[in-house]
Amino acid sequence: MPEISKMKKPDVKVVILGDMNVGKTSLLHRYTERKFRDTISTVGGAFYLKQWGPYNISIWDTAGREQFHGLGSMYCRGAAAVILTYDVTSWQSLAELEERFLSLTDTANHDCIYAIVGNKADLTDPRAQLPADPQSPAEGGEPGTGPRVPSACPTPPASPLSPGSPPQQVGREEAAALYGRVLRYKGLDEGSSLPADRMCFETSARTGYNVDLLFETLFDLVLPSILRKRTENQRSPTVDLEDYCEPPGRRRGCC
Amino acid sequence: MLNALPCSYWDGNMERDYPQKEGAEELNICDQPTEGPGAYADTLATSLSLLGSHMFPYHGEVVDRDVKTSVSTEDPVETLLPDPTAVERTSTLEAELSQKADTESQESEDIGLSAQSDEVVLAEASVNNGKDSSGEFVVALLAGSKLEEHCVGTEGTSSVLSESIAEEAPPLSHRDEDVTAESWRQHRKHVFVLSEAGKPIYSRYGSEEALSSTMGVMMALVSFVQSGDNMIRSVYSEERTVVFVQKGPLVLVCVANSRQSEQQLRDELLYVYYQIISMLTQASITRIFEHKKNYDLRRLLAGSEKILDGLLDLVDWDPSFLLAAVHCLPLPSSLRDSLSQILQKAITPNLVFSILIAKKQLVTIVQEKTVIEDARLEPADVHLLLNLIGASSAFQAGEIWTPICLPLFNPDCYFYAYISYLDPPECTVCLLLLSTDKEAFYAVAECKRRIEEAMVAQNSLSLIEKAQSYSVSQVGVSDLRHFMYKPFDVPDNHRQLTQFTSPEMEAPYSSAEEKMRLLDLYRYMHSRIHSSSRPLKLIYHVAERETLLAWVTSKFELYTCFSPLVTKACAITAITKLLRWLKKEEDRLFIRYPPKYSTTPNPSKSSRKSEQQDSTDNGFMSLL
Repeated sequence: MPEISKMKKPDVKVVILGDMNVGKTSLLHRYTERKFRDTISTVGGAFYLKQWGPYNISIWDTAGREQFHGLGSMYCRGAAAVILTYDVTSWQSLAELEERFLSLTDTANHDCIYAIVGNKADLTDPRAQLPADPQSPAEGGEPGTGPRVPSACPTPPASPLSPGSPPQQVGREEAAALYGRVLRYKGLDEGSSLPADRMCFETSARTGYNVDLLFETLFDLVLPSILRKRTENQRSPTVDLEDYCEPPGRRRGCC
Repeated sequence: MLNALPCSYWDGNMERDYPQKEGAEELNICDQPTEGPGAYADTLATSLSLLGSHMFPYHGEVVDRDVKTSVSTEDPVETLLPDPTAVERTSTLEAELSQKADTESQESEDIGLSAQSDEVVLAEASVNNGKDSSGEFVVALLAGSKLEEHCVGTEGTSSVLSESIAEEAPPLSHRDEDVTAESWRQHRKHVFVLSEAGKPIYSRYGSEEALSSTMGVMMALVSFVQSGDNMIRSVYSEERTVVFVQKGPLVLVCVANSRQSEQQLRDELLYVYYQIISMLTQASITRIFEHKKNYDLRRLLAGSEKILDGLLDLVDWDPSFLLAAVHCLPLPSSLRDSLSQILQKAITPNLVFSILIAKKQLVTIVQEKTVIEDARLEPADVHLLLNLIGASSAFQAGEIWTPICLPLFNPDCYFYAYISYLDPPECTVCLLLLSTDKEAFYAVAECKRRIEEAMVAQNSLSLIEKAQSYSVSQVGVSDLRHFMYKPFDVPDNHRQLTQFTSPEMEAPYSSAEEKMRLLDLYRYMHSRIHSSSRPLKLIYHVAERETLLAWVTSKFELYTCFSPLVTKACAITAITKLLRWLKKEEDRLFIRYPPKYSTTPNPSKSSRKSEQQDSTDNGFMSLL
């Protein structure tokens, strides 16, 4: 469609994945609006365009609910970076990343980069409790400004796999181990990929801890991918994200 | 526990229909609940009393009866009249109105007030027993006398019986409510959803886990009655009505003391069912439960509770649901037309509906040509869409892309909805584009940009901003306080979306309590008009603080509310004036000619369906 030139064409795509209630929308909201507030469970996926220097970065904030599972691979198609998000107070949410979300990234770019992000770090790490953003002192309209207790952000009832067990905290080592397994799943060589200590983050959307660091690190890392795509596009200017063709027969899994 | 019951009484009607012996057994079981003889009524009674002891601590007495033996000569609504001073003199009124209509017929023919004999004749006599469910059961839970310290976790049963209507500002989380507390029981309307295996799926108040035994008893009731090839429909007590709706593998239960008719509660439960379908589709729910009977559907609905909560609040506060019609934003027809044209031009393949919403009301809707030939968009589907938008707008800067099913349009298929606000950060004007193509996000988003540009060029946003609901004073009838007017299809436009119009609720209906009181009166009038056993065409109802007149003809349905001292003659004149005003304003109040576009170059009806079939489960089946 030639007339779509008016639209700010996204140069690159970043996707946020993870179980429900881990704080995907809150992370993005903290980054774009500099605020933390109660969010409602996302339906489907939400698309945002972020101006990063001369580039347009599209960010897909996806729903973590199982209801929307099938859409994940569509949101991930042609992604240059995937943010795999878990809740540091919920071991289950980390396990879900591997069980449910990793396979969705099959449609991402071959050189896609992966970040493992443990959100809600303010609940476990005293460093994360200090507001990272001095301009926003009190937290939005949130009623209780005192330190949250884990029960204030309940593990979703949707995980009957861990019946009644108290939330188990997730250490950085476990996240790093998952990062290793992600690389292996992708058939990437750990030596030539980005190291785990650069790609595993602990963040707090509530205080803003590490949130900018996360997004900005990723944006910088996807720049080469933008540049390469631009040069490719000069050769065949009609190729874009939507035209990415996945290998046939790959998606139909079980069921 | 039940033998603490003071001697209970039998309702005369019930007794007549019920063998005395059974009644005796009934009392028997109360004495020895564990050693019931296993007779049908006994087991049922036990389940009922279990349910009763949780839901209605005061009532322990139960009776079941077969509806076929008790053709409803008794009119439960009559006894529930909210106001003992209420009078209905419909027949005389009818005569007056028809007389009036006769004299006015010349000028008012076009506004539907003509004295067509079939319209003005009251339908009171036409008791329709035709489809009375001979095999279905109505179980009546008789309100016994007050019973103390009777059940699970209640002590100090205060006798606060009137439900305060001021529930509309609910505590932050209904999920954390203590389900054994008195306040939990006193909610005006409970709604439960469970699976056929008795697994809790949703509860409006309190967590499903805490209610799993209550829901288990509900399911026991349903399946017990079912085992006798019957279907449980409702349970009545003095204060509450329990309504059961079974849809496929789901059972929906409503426990209400809102004094609504059973049919109204049933319709509300259907909205809940349809909202669930809109998220999962009927086909996949059926398949899930075929696959695994005791599947915990909350896994798939987790996160959607707020959508259901929001729906139930809307059902209580928005008469659109009662009237099954869409309320659209009053706009000058020229503006509405120009907005429609903007939507009509911004199209892409597989786009089927373009809907513009402002201030939570419909502005305009444009449909794909072939779609409109197949079926029209049902008001209920629009309600579900509006509720979804309302419940998912937490973070409004983004563009949402989500699958959604329109259950009345096609309960088994998904559409893909693009939702975006055109006026951030205020977020009152919302564009909703529905496509059948899962991959069409970027193409549809481009349509939005074209629509946005055109609207900027025409300065539409600020014009929409100025539009607002109207005041009843514009009608210029002094005694008229409020009304709801729902015209039926006009003959030349059968495929029109059913709409209604209504002014703002102004003083004395400005407080939440008063609003709800008026809505309750309307619901009462509606239940009389639509009563299955004794439908009425015209009701003149003198209530304590206002006088209401409801009138249904083949052309419209009208509910009006007047000041209490209005005379009948005044009310009739007022309605004549109102109808004339509505006729004059209809271009502004309604979407008159919904435009269409064509996005499929080779329209074939089958293509629409086959495209979607493969995505009915939306991928989550693989997770089961």
